[in-house]
Amino acid sequence: MSTVPHRAVTTVLTLVVPAAFVGTTVAVAAAWSADLPDPVAVHFGGDGPDGFSSLAGLIWPSVLATALVALGCWALAFFWGRTSVVRRMAAGTATGLAAFLAALVLGILDLQRGLTDAAAAGDVDTVTGVAIGIGFLAAALGAWLTPGDARQPTRESVPADAPRLPLSADETAAWVALAQSRTILVAGGAATAFVLSIAVLAELWVLALVAVALAVTMLAMARFSVVVDRRGLTARSALGWPRLAVPMDEVTQAEVVDVSPFPEFGGWGYRVGRGGRVGIVLRAGEALLVERTGGRSVVVTVDDAATGAALLNTLAARVRANPPTRDTSGSR
Amino acid sequence: MYSNNYAAGMLLRIDSTSTEPLFAQLAGQVRAAVARGELGVGERLPGARELAGSLDINLHTVLRAYQELRDEGLIELRRGRGAVVTAAPQDNAELHAAIGELVRVSRSLGIAPQTTTALVKEALR
Repeated sequence: MSTVPHRAVTTVLTLVVPAAFVGTTVAVAAAWSADLPDPVAVHFGGDGPDGFSSLAGLIWPSVLATALVALGCWALAFFWGRTSVVRRMAAGTATGLAAFLAALVLGILDLQRGLTDAAAAGDVDTVTGVAIGIGFLAAALGAWLTPGDARQPTRESVPADAPRLPLSADETAAWVALAQSRTILVAGGAATAFVLSIAVLAELWVLALVAVALAVTMLAMARFSVVVDRRGLTARSALGWPRLAVPMDEVTQAEVVDVSPFPEFGGWGYRVGRGGRVGIVLRAGEALLVERTGGRSVVVTVDDAATGAALLNTLAARVRANPPTRDTSGSR
Repeated sequence: MYSNNYAAGMLLRIDSTSTEPLFAQLAGQVRAAVARGELGVGERLPGARELAGSLDINLHTVLRAYQELRDEGLIELRRGRGAVVTAAPQDNAELHAAIGELVRVSRSLGIAPQTTTALVKEALR
């Protein structure tokens, strides 16, 4: 089995960059320490600061959280990052969380520079909002900087025992299905309504941002259209993004499997599971598993997966047996 | 309709060497899927553009199939929503049983499938 690609970039994005954010936070906090009250405010209620601690007591938890998440993400991408999605998620999470916490800690400290009593610190809402924005921006940047997968076409024939579909040489076929979860829609809708009502009642407008993020995530995860055709497997969210595609020439074989969302993927949605398997996991049970070149695999929970798997194997076997003439000289 | 509602997958085939036009092949398969109850009211057909791309056929071929199905009152074409099944699948169990019987008899008599379908077409005229 091939090794995991892009380990150096993975290490930079999941360990070096978060370390740089932590280092900057500590250095700036140290430089500001003479101007800061002691203790500093670390928690804010509706009427201003309501929790206080030493400067170190504010910084260490954020350093620890950043380090733990960064290490986890690094391990995930370093050992299981055969698919770019895995490396992207890891890099985005590590850099995003590090940037968010650094911005939050430094923003909270900035509110208190020049004060003798931390209780006089102003409103924290703007700081939180800006920190969330910076976090998302850094996450997007980390994901964007992650290199994609190189094309890994195969000419190896599809295993004879992989399920097939009777399809004559003159026939072409497409399999179209819908993978969707009412549960995600209902639970996500309820969560969004709950957060939004708290945002309105407590006049915490930062929470409204969280509600919007929740709603978009839920809509992006609740429904995917799944297509198997001459081009391979494509699963696309109802929002158009995210999208998961396995080109036909990277299909090793397809089969039907039984998926247990929580033990295998830690939950529901567009997920990275054990061994770096990428899944669109919207329910337990029947799913289409596609083994892909480079030791990668993809799973989509969808009804009638047997037909999809059989068609994918059949079409892949057909292309392998008669490679198209324009094959290698393509403009890719 | 409660909890999770999953539309089953739909397999669409095209035979380029068949004498039946491509649009008629497509329409026929949708008709059959509705008749068998695999496609229910409110379920959506694949987008015409995507389906044309999947099967490597002309967009107008798919549109023509969908228009024919719309004219039959089987689907509705809505701007932005695509093709949605509107006709309730009637109970065709009796018809399916009769078809099964027809196939059995024609096989036992050694009659070629083309001959049987020709006879059925003749009778339906």
